[in-house]
Amino acid sequence: MAEIVSVMAMAHAPGVTGWLEAAPVEEQVAIKAGYEEMGELLRATKPDVLVGIANDHMLNLPLKNPPDFTVGNAADWEGPAEFFKPWLAQDGYKVAGQPDVANCLAQAGEAAGLKLNSREDLLFDDNWSVPLFYLTPDYSIPLVPIHMNCINPPVPSPEVSVRTGQVIAETIRNELPDDLRVAVFATGGLSHEPGGPRYFTLDEKFDRWFMDLLAEGDIDKMLKEATIERMNAAGGGGTTELLAWMVAMAVAGGTPARSIFYVGSAEMRCGIGGSVWDAIH
Amino acid sequence: MANEFDPDLPSNHLIFEVRRDSKQFTGFADQMEDLMERYGLSEEERAAWREVDVVTLGEMGVHPYFLPQVTRLVHGSAGNNSKSNAAQAYKKSFGDQIVEHKKI
Repeated sequence: MAEIVSVMAMAHAPGVTGWLEAAPVEEQVAIKAGYEEMGELLRATKPDVLVGIANDHMLNLPLKNPPDFTVGNAADWEGPAEFFKPWLAQDGYKVAGQPDVANCLAQAGEAAGLKLNSREDLLFDDNWSVPLFYLTPDYSIPLVPIHMNCINPPVPSPEVSVRTGQVIAETIRNELPDDLRVAVFATGGLSHEPGGPRYFTLDEKFDRWFMDLLAEGDIDKMLKEATIERMNAAGGGGTTELLAWMVAMAVAGGTPARSIFYVGSAEMRCGIGGSVWDAIH
Repeated sequence: MANEFDPDLPSNHLIFEVRRDSKQFTGFADQMEDLMERYGLSEEERAAWREVDVVTLGEMGVHPYFLPQVTRLVHGSAGNNSKSNAAQAYKKSFGDQIVEHKKI
């Protein structure tokens, strides 16, 4: 039985690598320190493979009738896609995939009735490129990217997100090879509104409330209170990326999360934060 | 309703496809007219693109998430901070609807 050695969630705002220098110095320091701590925590668990869940940003999934999730099952990945390189101020990186793990997760998801498929041709943007920059600076740990439809209605409900996390956890434990060390991370959020009049602001009060809710470790309360409507009220077009955090919460078994950092950054146009689950059940 | 859009609107297809093809997004502003023709944009859509009028494009059914990308296609993506040409074009389109950040 494989082991889930790490579960975490964090923002992936493009400015974190793209224009961090434009933010106030104290924000730059806090954001860098927060991501670096997340990276240290991840690498200390010595994972053999990373399973990530993040918004597809309508870059790969079809505009009409997209699946809720697409598991990337290529042997090799490159990122970010060309269009996003200047935006993210990244020249590009290569990271290995792990098709056997990806295919196992995809098959289990389909068997569980999730609206899910798999592909080898996913393009990456800030969803992976920003977190990986800090989590695995040498891009040495294979990645299984799971692209999630977080912004093309109807998006998967919080209940589906939690069920997906449970399926991922069960599959890792019951289907993947013995002794495989698996780290699961979700990326996206926190509050932001690309496409609306609140593009240059964020909802810090909501963000802290959401991270505190994760810290309570109560999935039922999360499902009851962190609704899609509540997320959209905190910022349309982006805040529902926190559905991916709910997947991570469920992978960890609904145990309390620990908030590592939070910076409400107007220049990043996003609440930037990260949480880890120290106990994984 | 947040994130509502018209998936059949030609502008959405243009944005979806152009970002995936360096031949199409490189020098986008210079080939915008050709691309708008190729993707079959209406005259109303074309007028909004020419003015980088993202508010009108959103009202026509462009997905909200795509609206900042319209400004980046036209004005470039690098250094996309709040003072960048792309961000300023977005702000100009929204005018006094823009909600300024208030730190709590």
